[in-house]
Amino acid sequence: MNFVFRNGVLKYVAANYFRSQCTATKLNAPSNRIVHTSSTSYDLMEFFDDKKNWNETNIKVGRAWKLDELRIKSNTDLHKLWYVLLKERNMLYTMEHECKEKVRLFPNPERIDKVQESMKNIETVVRERNIAYYQLETGETGERPVEEVVNLFGLPEKYEKSEYMVPKFMNTKWVKPYLEHGLINSIAVKKFYRLYKEKLHNESRKARNRDYNHVQQLLKRFPDMDLEKLREQYPNVDIEKAMRTKKARGHYFPKY
Amino acid sequence: MRIFSYLSKKVGDLTVKYSNLPESYIKRSYEQVYWKNPTGYPQYPKAQVARKKFRFTTNRPWTGHFRQQNDVGVHRKKVFVEPVGEWSFFKGDRVEVMVGKDKGKQGIVSQVVQERNWVFVEGLNTHLRIVGKDKNFPGVTVQSEAPLLVTTDVKLVDPENLKPTEFEWRYTEEGEKVRVSMTSSRIIPIPKSAEETIDYKSKELYVANPDKDTEADVVTKITFEPKLRTFEMDIMEAMGIKEDRVPAKSYWY
Repeated sequence: MNFVFRNGVLKYVAANYFRSQCTATKLNAPSNRIVHTSSTSYDLMEFFDDKKNWNETNIKVGRAWKLDELRIKSNTDLHKLWYVLLKERNMLYTMEHECKEKVRLFPNPERIDKVQESMKNIETVVRERNIAYYQLETGETGERPVEEVVNLFGLPEKYEKSEYMVPKFMNTKWVKPYLEHGLINSIAVKKFYRLYKEKLHNESRKARNRDYNHVQQLLKRFPDMDLEKLREQYPNVDIEKAMRTKKARGHYFPKY
Repeated sequence: MRIFSYLSKKVGDLTVKYSNLPESYIKRSYEQVYWKNPTGYPQYPKAQVARKKFRFTTNRPWTGHFRQQNDVGVHRKKVFVEPVGEWSFFKGDRVEVMVGKDKGKQGIVSQVVQERNWVFVEGLNTHLRIVGKDKNFPGVTVQSEAPLLVTTDVKLVDPENLKPTEFEWRYTEEGEKVRVSMTSSRIIPIPKSAEETIDYKSKELYVANPDKDTEADVVTKITFEPKLRTFEMDIMEAMGIKEDRVPAKSYWY
């Protein structure tokens, strides 16, 4: 299968493979932490693109790394690729900023999105692996614990727990849960929640009416349209009712 | 996400595929956000003030023309687009025009605008346009194709008898999804030019950027070996980091 077309954004992976092998053979001590395998150390100019790309108007690159491609890579490779992407992202941000300063067009800004997507995918894969390990070993995911709470405004919120050195009851600095303060039962919160619910209800009502009117207009304009497809797209609209309305009739004699 | 749903639905899949750009980029290139609530504060709900109505035409959403056409303060009449379900007209398809002065003629689809149910047929349904008219220059007359609606104005052509035909999507025994002509039950193949994008004619013809792209064989190489270790443990071992300290007891709340 030809994969050239769907290449990742960066070539440096290949270079890194090669370089890591070199260091391993040459020094025979990859465990030495002083030896790092990043590319030839330039100065701050590493934050900028290659000089030959400076006047380019079109820098074409491949697509982002997909999840399935990252799943077949070892942890070390992912680790290296992460830093490759991080450097590329920094470079792109710098170039974008510099182009703004110089009042020029930044060529191919979609590269930033591609790098971000790749990095997000790497993070997902690493998480998947860690979750698998922890579930096997401890039965838990090992992720940061999240609790569904009711917040200060009486709205449901996902509270991300934090790590503390002292238990809850000893921690006087930590704000006690709102439930203990009785805030959710206060009149102000109840009033807010009632108005908030009204607002949400109005929004959904407007959306419903909008869809209903839209369907009527569609029926008027396209009397022979496929009703199944219409129903599929607007599942909450009563099509039969919409067909009977005056708005849906159009300026012609009905066929019946 | 409630606030983005009206944005994300609008650009068609075919448009995204043709653009060869990440979807997030297309979105950020055409959306017009005037105000966004700051994130990370409980008092601010996830809300934004943004343009909701866009006019989709042959100008693709990521271009400057599109931005110009949907500029701040420009508001145009709503366009009603008939729901068509699954999209079934692709670039390179042979179709017959059912309306207009070229009624009954067959041609090849040269452009697809999914947001409007439009196809453009090469050399058919044309009108004359005068381009570059000036005080001293009478201008050049060019023929330009007008859009045709896929619902009523064109029909796919049966490959057997070259007559316009109805069709439906079916699965082959291999599990492939194909369009099948209703008159002769022949498969109407999806043309090669359907995978054409703005950057390359077909996927094989993509020329890799030697400085930036990863080689295909490096991408497909399998280096993963399952081990009973977390990512961090594996990296620490690979880098020779030894950690014997036992973390103090901590509490999560």
